[in-house]
Amino acid sequence: MTIDSLDNDNIILATGGYDHTIKLWQTHTGICTRTLQHAESQVNALEITPDRQHLAAASYQHIYMYDLTSNNPNAIVNYEGTSKNVTCVGFQEDGKWMYSGGEDSRARIWDLRSRNNQCPKIFEVQSPINCVALHPNQVELFVGDQNGIIYRWDLRTDNNEQLIPENDAMILDVEISPDSQLMASVNNKGRCYIWSLISGVIDTPTKMIPKQKFEAHTRHTLKCKFSPDSNLLATTSADTTARIWSADHFTLLQELKQTESQRWVWDTAFSADGQYIFTASSDGNARLWNVKTGVMEREYAGHQKAVTSLAFRDAS
Amino acid sequence: MALYDNKYWLLSHIRNSFISTDDTGMCELVMSGERRDIQTHLKSMEPFPDPESSEDDEDDFESFELQMDMDFKIRERSNTAAQIEKLELARKRSAKMRNIKWEHTQDSATQDVDLFVKKDVSHNKIQQNKTSKLSALIQTHADTPKNPFMEYAKFDGTGQVNIPTKKYKIYLTMLPPQQRNYPMPVCCISSSKVKELIGLILLKFSYNYGTANLKDPNHYGLYITEEDGEVDSDFPCLDYREPISKFGFNCLGLVEHKEGTKSVSFPDDSTTLFTIEEMNRTRTISEKSKADENKQMENDIQAVEDHNRLMEAPLYHSFRAFMLSKVKPKIEVNIGVSGERIEIDPVPQKGSKLLPFKAKAISHPIDSIADCEITDIRTNRTCFRIVYGANSASIPNSNLDSSFSSSTSSSLQYPNTTSYKNYDFESNHVTANDLVQKVKLILELKTSSTRVEYLATKEKKLQKKKSFHIVK
Repeated sequence: MTIDSLDNDNIILATGGYDHTIKLWQTHTGICTRTLQHAESQVNALEITPDRQHLAAASYQHIYMYDLTSNNPNAIVNYEGTSKNVTCVGFQEDGKWMYSGGEDSRARIWDLRSRNNQCPKIFEVQSPINCVALHPNQVELFVGDQNGIIYRWDLRTDNNEQLIPENDAMILDVEISPDSQLMASVNNKGRCYIWSLISGVIDTPTKMIPKQKFEAHTRHTLKCKFSPDSNLLATTSADTTARIWSADHFTLLQELKQTESQRWVWDTAFSADGQYIFTASSDGNARLWNVKTGVMEREYAGHQKAVTSLAFRDAS
Repeated sequence: MALYDNKYWLLSHIRNSFISTDDTGMCELVMSGERRDIQTHLKSMEPFPDPESSEDDEDDFESFELQMDMDFKIRERSNTAAQIEKLELARKRSAKMRNIKWEHTQDSATQDVDLFVKKDVSHNKIQQNKTSKLSALIQTHADTPKNPFMEYAKFDGTGQVNIPTKKYKIYLTMLPPQQRNYPMPVCCISSSKVKELIGLILLKFSYNYGTANLKDPNHYGLYITEEDGEVDSDFPCLDYREPISKFGFNCLGLVEHKEGTKSVSFPDDSTTLFTIEEMNRTRTISEKSKADENKQMENDIQAVEDHNRLMEAPLYHSFRAFMLSKVKPKIEVNIGVSGERIEIDPVPQKGSKLLPFKAKAISHPIDSIADCEITDIRTNRTCFRIVYGANSASIPNSNLDSSFSSSTSSSLQYPNTTSYKNYDFESNHVTANDLVQKVKLILELKTSSTRVEYLATKEKKLQKKKSFHIVK
């Protein structure tokens, strides 16, 4: 790879938060290249479509879709019909459908292939949904809610199975490792729970076997994310740090801390090779860290208020 | 209505009507303070106070609808118009957006079979640790120093929603002259301070030109600037601690302050930013700008002198000159020039009695003077002319005056307006120059109607001449 070919063109880093804007960044310089307007509410979650053409922003009562290929600062599609905050959003790997979870206690499947959502699917739970994760087999969704229950929702059969890792604790995030071997979940007490997953053949559901539990942080653990090679797990927390754990024994490898200004760390994303990691914090900055050394490499400043979500897509 | 014979009520009603119909808020300002005084005053005037009425509305002298608040502002406009505009904008925006509504269909039979296909993950190969593009990019740019102005990025107003922003045209005086012609547009959030705006400008500057030669924002000042990019140095730079919302100007110039001028009060923390090489570069820059500075200084001194001359112009000063005429010998005169009048006094000569006519003093109010100019410069003397409007009364119309007018008025007579006459003088160069300049300055200051008319007719004449030439 020559230096000439090293530009930012195919790398997408988007951040959003409470200042009603979404910013796109040039990763190596820290320059904000575009600002998208998200006037009606804060940004709860961001996700880039598999084809890299669009950016979905989960917000209050809506999911807005932005065009990443044009210069239009306004959303081009508005998915509406949810009554409360949409807390998470994600895509099927071919972009056939989109899933979302919200504070209206419903997880939804939005059909993206047809122009008008022909085939919606809905899954209702007892309390507001904080997080939804899609199993790499593309047919099982794991939904975490404020009652502390994780639901395994089979999209083909609509069957579900419940897990309660800890009483009186909210599930704040749930994540499946890309190699489908592990599931991680974090709660508002700072604990992280790990399950081994045994994938079923054809129609048998995935089995979840409790593997480990550890104190990831002393306060709310807000997000957990596996590295693309499934060897690392990153957790972010209200204790103003993000931590990186080895995914085999869950020992602490690195603490990402910037003592001067960093506040709650809300979201995180690994580079495709797992060498670098982005974090988003309430102090209005996103940061890039070297995973091996724990050194902060770049800072992305420009948001007026807390940055609560980021979406990143690396190129290879 | 019992209220109408209650004088307190009536008085209060009248007062409230005044206050509520006065949009400037002045009535409110004047009247609301004296409520109590009037009440007690009325009480003491009344011989037989009515016990009932005094019980009723003792404290309710204001109408119930009006709330008297203590900050006397101009009444705020309703924000209905703004609201409507906002809705309209939202409507327009949403027209461009595709809306997809959630509709819950009950029949799952319509479901596509291929929508949910289970992917076999047992052979899910995890990609090898190949360096990703991001890592490569970061590693090749590992030496890039952190932009020291990055902390000011959050004051950027571009693309912000729901936050008031201000747009500026910034002229960058540190650029080479040929690049200075166009201002850099900068949009800043309104709540930021001048220093933060400077930081943001430097950040934007560094995107285009790099961070070399840039110093800490404390080393720069924002000056009021003309639309053509000329920095107005008559005003001090905007105070860097003040919020930008305090200043209304939107065309500003960024100027680097020289060492020792402004940096006294703040600690210099920018030293670590620059290597020696960069220091050398800045030095050449500052030398260059020192030349500019000297030039600037000269200009300043010139400006001060001009200003002083302007200020002193209306003060009395007398000059010695010779009055010329075609028919008579030249007479030595004293010309007294002041803000009010021009006096021409013949200097008493030996044997003046022998002259065939008597020279009298002349005085013209400055309002009647139309022009003063140098007509001829010779080796040892300069001729100049004072033109005046003949209609305006020149006080003692001496025979000398009239004799002059007869000789010279023919050339400058215009049918529709005042006729202009002139005196011709000659003197040495310095005196003539000083006098002409002084009179010109006074004329500029006063701009009497005579002068305006004179200039207009002159202009007309010139144009006539021109058109005549063209015809020829």
